[in-house]
Amino acid sequence: MRPVLSSLFILTSAAVVLALGPIAGDAQQNPTRKSRAAPAPLPLATAPLPGTPAPATAPEARPTTELRETVQADVSTRSVSITSSFTGTEIVIFGAVDNSRQSSAESGLYDVVIVLEGTPTRLVSRRKSNVAGIWLNTQSLTFESVPSYYAIASTRPLDELADPLLLRENDIGFEQVRMAPISGWETGLTTADLADFKTAVIRLKQKDGLYKEEQYGVVFIGRSLFRASIELPANVPVGPLVARVYLLREGQLLSTYTARVKLEREGLERVLHNFAFDHPLFYGVFTVAVAVGAGLLASTMFRRASH
Amino acid sequence: MNFYLPIAEMSANVFVFLGMGGAVGFLSGMFGVGGGFLMTPLLIFSGIPPAVAVGTESAQIVASSVSGAIAQWRRNNIDLMMGTVLLGGGIIGSVFGVQVVKELRKAGQFDFVVAVAYVTFLGVIGTLMLIESLNTIRKVRSGTASPLRDAQHHNWIHRLPLKMRFKRSKLYISAIPPFLIGAFVGVLAAIMGVGGGFVMVPAMIYLLRVPTNVVVGTSLFQIVFVTAATTILHATQNKTVDVVLALILMIGGVIGAQFGAVAGQRLKGEQLRFLLAALVLLVCLRIAWSLVAAPDEFYSIALAIGGRG
Repeated sequence: MRPVLSSLFILTSAAVVLALGPIAGDAQQNPTRKSRAAPAPLPLATAPLPGTPAPATAPEARPTTELRETVQADVSTRSVSITSSFTGTEIVIFGAVDNSRQSSAESGLYDVVIVLEGTPTRLVSRRKSNVAGIWLNTQSLTFESVPSYYAIASTRPLDELADPLLLRENDIGFEQVRMAPISGWETGLTTADLADFKTAVIRLKQKDGLYKEEQYGVVFIGRSLFRASIELPANVPVGPLVARVYLLREGQLLSTYTARVKLEREGLERVLHNFAFDHPLFYGVFTVAVAVGAGLLASTMFRRASH
Repeated sequence: MNFYLPIAEMSANVFVFLGMGGAVGFLSGMFGVGGGFLMTPLLIFSGIPPAVAVGTESAQIVASSVSGAIAQWRRNNIDLMMGTVLLGGGIIGSVFGVQVVKELRKAGQFDFVVAVAYVTFLGVIGTLMLIESLNTIRKVRSGTASPLRDAQHHNWIHRLPLKMRFKRSKLYISAIPPFLIGAFVGVLAAIMGVGGGFVMVPAMIYLLRVPTNVVVGTSLFQIVFVTAATTILHATQNKTVDVVLALILMIGGVIGAQFGAVAGQRLKGEQLRFLLAALVLLVCLRIAWSLVAAPDEFYSIALAIGGRG
């Protein structure tokens, strides 16, 4: 019974991956990683086009006749709406290894790392110090682009599955989160200070639940199918998310895949937010009208009640 | 029940904020004060960004003062001339204050300035009220009558130019002091998210010698319009007014105020003032503690606003 069910699941999931693939076609080829100084040597070019089978001929680097493993993935929810009742949600990222050579889900031949990253935002970090007995912000550092959200899920702890160089080249891990500091009003910062500010940003983001690492968050559920669920907290900053999926074997990167998640305000939430930001004057007048209305309504209601 | 606040950008428990509005409304109904000086710190303690707390609270004060102002208007307790001068100053003060908030937020010092402003004002007002109420309680016990308003004597205020006749207050004084008082209150309204009655009422009684029967009405008149202007200015300049949060607080506030007013009638004036003074000093100490105690976390992060942050 059990194998029948699981193989059914694999079949349907794989079909879903294949069927959905072309819709997300613009998202595939890892486009955000180009600005790295040291380009990843690995197979950005060999990542398969959606819906098409892996190339029939093996790359030159592999003299064997076996087909090259590639990874495809998708997310459970392509578009998350932030409505008035939004209290966070869970995103399931699932994928399949094409030409998998592992015999079962438990054989552990492959490692998968999933990075779900939010939009880069300009962020200022401030440090308090004691001035005449009072704690106040005395130093600040502005970072040009800090991912608003950053979640990593992997089959094993990162330091076990690949060497630091590979992780660094592919921007995997909190230490690799890119935050370009731009000098603020304050110039007396040393390199050590800079490092302190960076770790503080990561620490505070982790405290807010916006940066997180699930060391065993990716689970194989068949010889080729894997899944991971990543929690989006209620305070997740609104904006698009990018999910990068890395397939590794024995510390070598075999294939990558990119999927996208839209995160948008919907309904009343969207109306009010747009109102406040696009027509601030009318929004202000509207708020005052609501306040005056509430005050008048309350006074007439309670006057009637007390008579 | 949770509701995602569109400007504060966080999911908030509606009942927590309804309860908060209700509790502060109860106290403000009981003591006959606006409650902004309690509500804003409470909002900040509960995780609302200070700038959003201040901007949103001005909207709530509009709601809580408007019915009071109308009631005073019906009883002819508003000196319109005096109110207009206070209001003129108040609007200018508010424009300036909102600009100050904008600059302080850019420099990352807004939270600190709000805390210092609260400690200063609550400390001074609380101490004065405590002394005054204790004196009155002692005098009532020993049987001496409480002194009435001092007879008008000529002080420096009478030597200032631009004299105006304030008929309802039966005063002929310069327009400059009420204008400056109004302006000062406007700045406080913009920076602290308060109505400013706690400054305006004593200033009108002791500095301008406005008769007590018109003080509250005239002050409420100014507060309604200044907080309305402040709300609009915060909405346009700082985008820190959360209409959903404001509405939740308003609903809690107006209901709480009705029960508070009933409870307040059972206590004597000086006892009420003593309790209020104690409350004000408690809030003051709590904020002062946050300034002097070594923080658990020395760093903070925020989205950079404008320029180079």
